[in-house]
Amino acid sequence: MLDSKTKARIAKQLEGIVGAEHVTTQETDTVLNAHDAWPLSEAKIRAGEMLPLADIVVFPGSTEEVSEVLKIANKNRVPVTPVGGGAGTCGGTLPIYGGMQLDLKRMDKVLEIDHKSMLVRVEAGMVGIDLEEEVNRHGYTLGHTPTSMRASNVGGFLATRSGGSMSSLYGKIEDLTLGLEIVLADGSIVRTKAVPRHSVGPDLRELFIGSEGTLGVITDATLRLFPIPEERRFRSMAFADVHSGLEAIRLIFRADITPSVVRFYDPEDTAWSISRHFDVEEGDSMLLLAFDGDAETVDYEERISVDICRQNGGKDFGDGPSKRWWEHRYDMYYPSKFTTAGFSIGDTIDIVATYDKLENVYRAMKTAMEAHDAFVMSHFSHMYQNGGSIYMIFFTSQPDAKTAWATYKKIWDDGVTACLREGGTMSHQHGVGLSRSTYIEDELGSGFQVLKKIKGVLDPNGIMNPGKLGLGVRE
Amino acid sequence: MIYDEDIAQQIRMCAACPKMCRHVCPTFLAWRSESPTPHGRALLLHQEITGTRPLDDRAIEVLYQCLECSHCLTWCIPEIDIAEIVEMRRIQLVEEGRFPSGLNPMVDSIRTHHNPYKEPNEKRTSWLKIPKNDGRSLVYFTGCTAAYRENSIAQDAVSVLSSLGYQVNIPEDEWCCGSPLLRTGFVEEALEQARHNVEILNSMDAEEIVVTCPGCYRVLTQDYPKHGLEINKPVRHIAELLQSHLKSLPEFELDGQVTFHDSCHLGRHSGIYEQPREVIERVSKGALVEMERNRDNAMCCGNGAGLRTLFPEHAKKIGAERVRQAERTGAKYLVTSCPFCKNMLESQAKDRLIVLDLPELVEMAKKQSHVKTD
Repeated sequence: MLDSKTKARIAKQLEGIVGAEHVTTQETDTVLNAHDAWPLSEAKIRAGEMLPLADIVVFPGSTEEVSEVLKIANKNRVPVTPVGGGAGTCGGTLPIYGGMQLDLKRMDKVLEIDHKSMLVRVEAGMVGIDLEEEVNRHGYTLGHTPTSMRASNVGGFLATRSGGSMSSLYGKIEDLTLGLEIVLADGSIVRTKAVPRHSVGPDLRELFIGSEGTLGVITDATLRLFPIPEERRFRSMAFADVHSGLEAIRLIFRADITPSVVRFYDPEDTAWSISRHFDVEEGDSMLLLAFDGDAETVDYEERISVDICRQNGGKDFGDGPSKRWWEHRYDMYYPSKFTTAGFSIGDTIDIVATYDKLENVYRAMKTAMEAHDAFVMSHFSHMYQNGGSIYMIFFTSQPDAKTAWATYKKIWDDGVTACLREGGTMSHQHGVGLSRSTYIEDELGSGFQVLKKIKGVLDPNGIMNPGKLGLGVRE
Repeated sequence: MIYDEDIAQQIRMCAACPKMCRHVCPTFLAWRSESPTPHGRALLLHQEITGTRPLDDRAIEVLYQCLECSHCLTWCIPEIDIAEIVEMRRIQLVEEGRFPSGLNPMVDSIRTHHNPYKEPNEKRTSWLKIPKNDGRSLVYFTGCTAAYRENSIAQDAVSVLSSLGYQVNIPEDEWCCGSPLLRTGFVEEALEQARHNVEILNSMDAEEIVVTCPGCYRVLTQDYPKHGLEINKPVRHIAELLQSHLKSLPEFELDGQVTFHDSCHLGRHSGIYEQPREVIERVSKGALVEMERNRDNAMCCGNGAGLRTLFPEHAKKIGAERVRQAERTGAKYLVTSCPFCKNMLESQAKDRLIVLDLPELVEMAKKQSHVKTD
């Protein structure tokens, strides 16, 4: 935390850059700006605990202003926590060492739509749903639809290396991004050219996608656009066990079919999410599929997929469950009386593995997490030719805050340990933030030393989002 | 501040929500900050309830950076009405004497002049020309904005009502309905106005009361009864009344399309969505085109619950955005059925759109159709 004299001096300097109305040191504003979507933060808020607060919140309006702000922070060795929509689920925007929250919400404009190349250049602070609606008006879709779409910003998509629910077809944010503008800790501005690909050395763009504000601040991005598909068709198939459903998914991709949506719910998640609305046999697992494209393509993809499912024991549920999921896909994100009662806490450990390991990872994690008085339900989603992701969702309710937070930590620790032991990777799309920062060395191995060296060069004073991604952790 | 358990639970849930409604919150748009947001307001109240942190002056200011437009409620599956909760806390803040001083001129003006515009009350409706008619008798409660700032709405309303055969009666000593006071927490001051209005209205000999202002409509039909003040005749918004005379309304060819802005008090707070649309469709011969955000998903104009009084520049930003949304439809006319909304939208539309209130559109149709007939 900054002493009051330093805080006042730096705030004054920042006011000179962005204007007095775009800098605040009011405690109320810092309390409200700390709010994120990490389930642990939400549970702590409900329990009446305070989240870590910044000393200053600054709202720059341009890349140049971001640059000037960072120069001041760097000169004064002030921690900087960039924040976009404040919708991260891993605590990545919590200012755990105080200092400055650099809030990008004012940078919310579409700068250009290139119809010929089907690209949009957009500022990092634009809310996802606002951008999607704007490109829809021109006949396009981003193809990037995370559940946080209404709250998360473009900068957050990139900083956390996110994926949307239709990522199997359209790709993840790194596939959707052609160019970036980044401001480094010393205020220098880096632009990576927006081209489909290149062979000019390593792709620097990739270095910053997923860097969670630890290497610089992403200020704008050039993203791909897709024509809004002529048709989106839904299909649902139930399987008697997880294994046969996973086999069907693997074979669908092997047949060169790429559905836009592939979500496979294990028996517990099927009971929770599907069976309340559809008559599913107890213990079955439900596969939800969607196909995007022209009628001919959709016909073909659907037919082949259904054949494969049937050959693997799939029972046809028509479009119902899949369509219902699409229409209610944001509902599960809302708080409910059940999920917020007392000292309840739930979270999702979204992991990724190749097909040869996927089922083992699932079973090992489930066993490890259930050992801690947790209800665990899972779905496989974001599936690809070579493997896919599992949403290991857990929920626990404890008598007091101390026990709840400790139980939460144990479930995470043992869940991630099981994931790594079985050859999975601990995060598919939510990032690392704080919730996974203690596991990053185990995950990356010697690669973590490379990351640390890069961090040391780009941010020698360690001001950029310290404590996140396991980088810049202070005693 | 003590809340009942159910309200406290709602506040607790909203305070820790992952921001499922923030994208439609007009004050989030205006400030681009996490502070004036639904979950932000809830978090401040939740921390006060749990004893984590009392409201400081900035927190109180944040609670007044709310339009009480209830747009967030449209997007809230747990159906938490944070606007109503904010208003509950504002009432207490006023009782505690901890409200923003920027509200004082408005409160003083209503107390002294019975309108928020510091205008003499005797000139409220003295300028209105009321035709004689033998038809059914109704009372037109003009409201302050049509009386002092948007005169053509009041005059056209009278003209249209007369054309439909009504004998229009104007209360001799109408006072502010109390809406600006109620929405900012000044209940006692509002009830002083309300009691006077109820007495005047109940003493008048007429079959019904019609209003052009949705703020008045909500207060007369919902707030007055809530406080035990009963009006002895039915109250209708002019959109409802006109819709009941649909076949008698004039029709005309407009030189462009019309889009309709739902006012929060008429729409989300009173559930009146279709009546004004049916009137527009009738008089414009089907020229209505909808904005992307319409009906219960319509964006507020930015003029409500004291926001324009306290934060005029931010209120205008919201109005300007609503105008942009209207422009996107390609319409030439932006029609609303609220004098307060019209005032804001017209100020932001400049000459890019023709902004009209519903009676003005009908009066236009009446004149045009007469021209054609002649």
